[in-house]
Amino acid sequence: MNWATVSFIIYTLILLAIGIWSYRIVERVPIAKYEEEFYAAGRGLGGVVVALLIAGGLASAGTFVAGPGMCYAYGYSWVFINNMQTFINLMFLAPIGLMVGMVARRVNAGTYLDMFKARYQNKAIIVILAILVTVFLLPYMATQFVGAARVISQMTGIGYFGALALGSLVVLVYCVLGGMRGTSIAILVQGIVMTVGCIILFIGTVHYAGGFQKSSEILAGLDITLLSPTMGGVFSAPFSFSIACLIGYFVIGMPHAMLGALTYKNTRALKRGIWMGGIFVFLWTFLLCMSGTIGRSINPGLAVADEAGPWLAMHVMPGALGGIVLAGIVAGIQTTVAAMAIIIASSIAKNLFKELKPDVSDRGLKSASRWTMGGCIAVAIGLALQQPSLIQWIILFAIGGLEAATFGPILLGFLWKRGNQWGAIASICWGMIIYALGSTVLPQLQVGGMHQSFVAIVSSVIVYVIVSMATAKPSDEIVQTFWGARTQA
Amino acid sequence: MEMKFIEDPRVKVSRRLWAISWIFYSAFLAFLMGLSYTMGTEPYIWGLPRWVAIGNIVVPVVFVIALIFVAEKLIPDLPLTDEEERGKGGKE
Repeated sequence: MNWATVSFIIYTLILLAIGIWSYRIVERVPIAKYEEEFYAAGRGLGGVVVALLIAGGLASAGTFVAGPGMCYAYGYSWVFINNMQTFINLMFLAPIGLMVGMVARRVNAGTYLDMFKARYQNKAIIVILAILVTVFLLPYMATQFVGAARVISQMTGIGYFGALALGSLVVLVYCVLGGMRGTSIAILVQGIVMTVGCIILFIGTVHYAGGFQKSSEILAGLDITLLSPTMGGVFSAPFSFSIACLIGYFVIGMPHAMLGALTYKNTRALKRGIWMGGIFVFLWTFLLCMSGTIGRSINPGLAVADEAGPWLAMHVMPGALGGIVLAGIVAGIQTTVAAMAIIIASSIAKNLFKELKPDVSDRGLKSASRWTMGGCIAVAIGLALQQPSLIQWIILFAIGGLEAATFGPILLGFLWKRGNQWGAIASICWGMIIYALGSTVLPQLQVGGMHQSFVAIVSSVIVYVIVSMATAKPSDEIVQTFWGARTQA
Repeated sequence: MEMKFIEDPRVKVSRRLWAISWIFYSAFLAFLMGLSYTMGTEPYIWGLPRWVAIGNIVVPVVFVIALIFVAEKLIPDLPLTDEEERGKGGKE
């Protein structure tokens, strides 16, 4: 057993202990309050946890595994593109965080779809979104498990299936037992491990490479386009801008980011969640991506670029430190999976199940929540057994799909009183159709080399506005709930 | 008789935060993309291509620091429940 394995097992045992501890906390909560505790951690999370919840949830294997891999393959151009995600917390929490915090308390919303239910009061929207969230997030979760399993396998020597079990079962334990409470406690440990792991990897890589100057000269000798912001024209400005839209302006459409907005304690936590998130995401992204590019000057011969991070952790630093980096990379992936599992489980068990069976008891809902959560993670693990090779494309596809469906109904739903259920349904359907066409038979929709989601998202917003204007205004009750001042009774 | 609609003052704050965040991010992108595409590679700064040092280190660091001030100064401390809001008279 090597040092990396020992470090990783210690980290895993800590998470298991957190799972059991949070289970005991959740079980002490009265059954009537269980739902709010399991899905929203009692709406009492502070700034650091909120920052980590959104940043860790959105920065997935695409940042922690594919990030260094893409930068290894495409040089500093991908560092530049990945840096555009630095302000994801700001771009999510500032536009709608205050409204979500206020309205969620008014209507007692504990889940993502509870907010849609309160805003649009339409069963079809809940059912469609529950299905879309599940369809897009399950494969997304599976790619996270694949990324984690590959890293664990490479660094510890354990086979793929053993590594998959090691990386995924612990998430199953602390999510199913502790729900949002377990996730929020675990994420503090994971946030520290992720940040320390990234710093160690970066320092070790730069030191091993002999400094920036030497690595830049080697990279220039290998391929001068590695030093170009466009990789010699491979990544055009419109393409980079469309990625900036996906991970910046449109990030409101990512369902699992809603957890932070639903659970923060007060506006002090909101503010800290915003700026601390900026610091965390910048550190993770910049340090990992720079390590990937500089790593190419150390070993330009890796057959699989995604192996750059684990390879560096194993070769440029002592074993125990490599174990911390391993734990950091896997922690970055596990935070994403946990956030997604809570969103899917709440969509199915709380919203879909309750729509289909309105008379379900609190005890029945409690049981359904845990079984659904366990089932979702088990399905994702099952999908991960297939070992898909193109993780990054599946991730980008899922992000684009989710944002094409929900960006308009969320943003305009909170900011525009005139928006209504018909606008939301039309926007969701239009976004999905255009996204499907742009991804398959109509590549012309990738205007100017932009990602296919760009046209789908922008046009779905226009459809939302047109259809809302052409149909009846939302009810006074909705307007009063979302925008009205509450006067003394 | 129809009741006159009175907007919650927190809604106005929320719309302002949306505008601030989009302006802030647009400024960040403008600097990030503008400087990265125009600075060129040489002369190296700190051993890195000039556009990397300026566009990918200096610009994000400056904006991350600026975000601390933007968030702390421009986002007011507001109550989230209606009971607290009534208690403070509904003022920003």
